[in-house]
Amino acid sequence: MSAASSVGDLMNTPDRGKNSLSRDQSAERQIARRLIEGHRSERAEGHTSARAAAAACDQLYRELSRWVGPDGCHALFTRALAQARTEYPALGQIQLRARSEPYIDGVAETIMAHGDPATAEGLEAMLVHLIELLGRLIGDDMAMKLIERSLAASDRGDPTSDRREEA
Amino acid sequence: MNGNSQERAVIRSLPSGVPGLDTVLGGGLPEYSFNLIAGGPGSGKTTLAHQIMFANASVERPALYFTVLGEPTLKMLRYQRQFSYFNPELAGSAIQFINLSAEVMERDLGEVLQRIIGEIERAKPGIVVVDSFRTIAGQPRSSDKGSGFDLDQFVQRLALQLTTWEVTSFLLGEYAAEEQRSPVFTVADGILWLTQATDRNSVVRKLQVVKSRGRAPMPGLHTFRITDDGLQIFPRIPEQTRKRVLKKRERLSTGVRGMDEMIGGGVISGDAVMLTGPAGSGKSTVATQFMVAGLAKGETGVIAVFEEYPEEYLARANNRNPEVGEMINAGKLEVIYLRPLDLSVDEALFAILEAVERLGARRVVIDSLSGFEVALAPTFRADFRESLYRLVGTLTATGVTVFMTAEVSEAFSEARFTTEKVSFITDEIIVQRYVEMEGELRRVMAVIKMRGSDHTHQFRTYEVTSKGVVVGGPLTEYDGIITGVPKLRAKPAKAKRGK
Repeated sequence: MSAASSVGDLMNTPDRGKNSLSRDQSAERQIARRLIEGHRSERAEGHTSARAAAAACDQLYRELSRWVGPDGCHALFTRALAQARTEYPALGQIQLRARSEPYIDGVAETIMAHGDPATAEGLEAMLVHLIELLGRLIGDDMAMKLIERSLAASDRGDPTSDRREEA
Repeated sequence: MNGNSQERAVIRSLPSGVPGLDTVLGGGLPEYSFNLIAGGPGSGKTTLAHQIMFANASVERPALYFTVLGEPTLKMLRYQRQFSYFNPELAGSAIQFINLSAEVMERDLGEVLQRIIGEIERAKPGIVVVDSFRTIAGQPRSSDKGSGFDLDQFVQRLALQLTTWEVTSFLLGEYAAEEQRSPVFTVADGILWLTQATDRNSVVRKLQVVKSRGRAPMPGLHTFRITDDGLQIFPRIPEQTRKRVLKKRERLSTGVRGMDEMIGGGVISGDAVMLTGPAGSGKSTVATQFMVAGLAKGETGVIAVFEEYPEEYLARANNRNPEVGEMINAGKLEVIYLRPLDLSVDEALFAILEAVERLGARRVVIDSLSGFEVALAPTFRADFRESLYRLVGTLTATGVTVFMTAEVSEAFSEARFTTEKVSFITDEIIVQRYVEMEGELRRVMAVIKMRGSDHTHQFRTYEVTSKGVVVGGPLTEYDGIITGVPKLRAKPAKAKRGK
C-alpha cells in the first residue's frame, strides 16, 4: 500500500468529522507516525526518535508553506504547539522559527532536559493537533492532499530533510 | 510557409466552466491568452478563476494557482471548497496552489518573476492564475531598482513568458474603473470586469468583457449570480440576435368557454397575449386554462410564477384542473418560481428560455407582469419597458405563444384597459373589469386589440366557477358599461292605440 492511499484510508474512516472537537485522534496519530517514520528509517546511527519527529515537522512546514505560505503555515504550527504544550509541558523549550531552517528549534535542549521519549511524544502530539486543525479548516480530504506531498517527499528521501542533522 | 490562410495559427477556445460566460465571450476563452479579471472586493474574481481552473485543469496540463497577499490561502481553500465545482481530487495534482508571499514581501520583482517561471517550467501548466496580482504591483520594494525591473517590464515579461510556455493565464486584481491606464490593461489580451452595485436593499452583480483580442464578445453588462455552484452569467441577449421562427398563425384554444369565439377562433400561435384586470378578476384562472388547453392537445408548456409560491399556485390550479399536477409529473409542464426581488430580466429570460428549450414548449404563461416588475431589482425597474420588449420578443422569436397577465388598479367609474407601460409589446389584449349591475358586482371582459384578426367588440359577462372561467352573453341591453355602472337601455315606448 502506498503512503498516499494509506493516508487517504485513514482520513476517510466513516465516523470522522462527526464531532471534530471530541473525536478520537487515532487517524491523525497514525498519519503523524507515518510522517515521523519516514525520517526515522533513513537516519544515521544515533539519531533519536525526537530528532526524527522534529525532521518530520520541518519537512511538513516546508511543504505546507508552498501551499499556504510561510506565515499561514507558521500560524498553524503555533496553534498546534500551544495545544500540545498543555498535554506535554516538556515542549516548553521548543521554539518555532518562521522562515528558518530548521524550523523546530530547541530540540536538543528538550531532549537533554526531558529525555528522548518525552520530547518525541510531545512533537508527535503537535503533529496530531496540526493535522486535526488543518482538517477542520479545509476538510480532511484537502488536508490529506497537503500531507501526502510531505509523505511523498520523505519517501523520495528529499535531501532538504537532512538539514536537521546538520543543524 | 507561404502565407496561405490555411496555415494561420488557430486560436482554440477553452470552455470557461461558467454557465453563460462562453456565450458572452463569443465562444470561450482564447487559448494561451493573458487575461485580467478585475473588480472590487467581493465581486467574485477568485470564484471565477477557480471555476475556470477546475473546468480546464488535468494531470497532464495542470493549473497553477499563485496566491500572493490578501486572502490567506487557508481561508481561500476553506471557502472555495464549499462550491460544487471544487473537486478535492484535483487539488495537489491537477491543481497546485503555490504561495508567493515570501517572494513578494522580501524580494524584488525579478525574483518574483523567476519563481513564477520556475514553477511553470517544473509543472508545465495549461492554466496559471495569480491572485492577487494587484498586491504584487502595489507592494513597495526598495530593491526593485537593483533588479532593473519596474512594474511595466515585469508585466511585459510575465505576459511573454506565459505565452511562450503556452499557458492561458489570469491575473486577478482589485481595480477601480479610473485605473485603466495601468500597464497590465494594455498588455492583457482579455479583460473581464466584475462589479456589484447596491440599490436600496438589493445587490446586482454584473460582468463586462472590456477587451477580448481575436474575439467578438457580447457587448454590454451581463448580470450574474453566485450560488453554491459558483458564478452563473445571464447574457444580455439582444432580441434580434435570435433567429425568428416564422409564425404558423394557427388558432390556439384558450380553454375558456366562449372566449375563443370573442377573439376570432382562438389565440394566434406565436403571439404575445396580455390579459389585464383588477385583483380577483380571474386572470390566473384564465392563464391556467390556456395552459391546460394546450396540455390536453399534447403540447408542453412553461408557467413562470411571480406572485405566489409554486405550492400555492399549483394547489389552486389543481383544484380546478387536476391534470396540472399530472402533467408536471409527466414532464409536460414546468412551473418556474421567480420571486427573489433582485432578479434581472436576463435571469428570468434565461430560466424561461431554458425550460422552453428543455420541454420543447409551445405555450408560456407569465403570471404576472406586475409581480415580475416587483421581483426585479430596483435598478432594472427603470428599464422595465425595454427589458420586457426584449423578453417577449426573444420568447416569441422561438415560436412559443406567450400569455401574460397584468393587474390594473381600477376605480369603478374609470376603465383602465391595460398597463400603459407594456401594451405595445403585445399582439392581443383582453381586458377584464368589474361593473355594478342591479346592485351586484359583475365581471365583464372585452377584446381591445387583436393584431391581424377580427374580434368581437362587445363586452361579455363572465363567471369564475369551480371549473374555471365561463364567458356569458353580450350586454346588448346596457349602455355605459365602460363607466362601470351600466344602465339598462330604456325600451322605446310603444305607440298608443287609437291615436
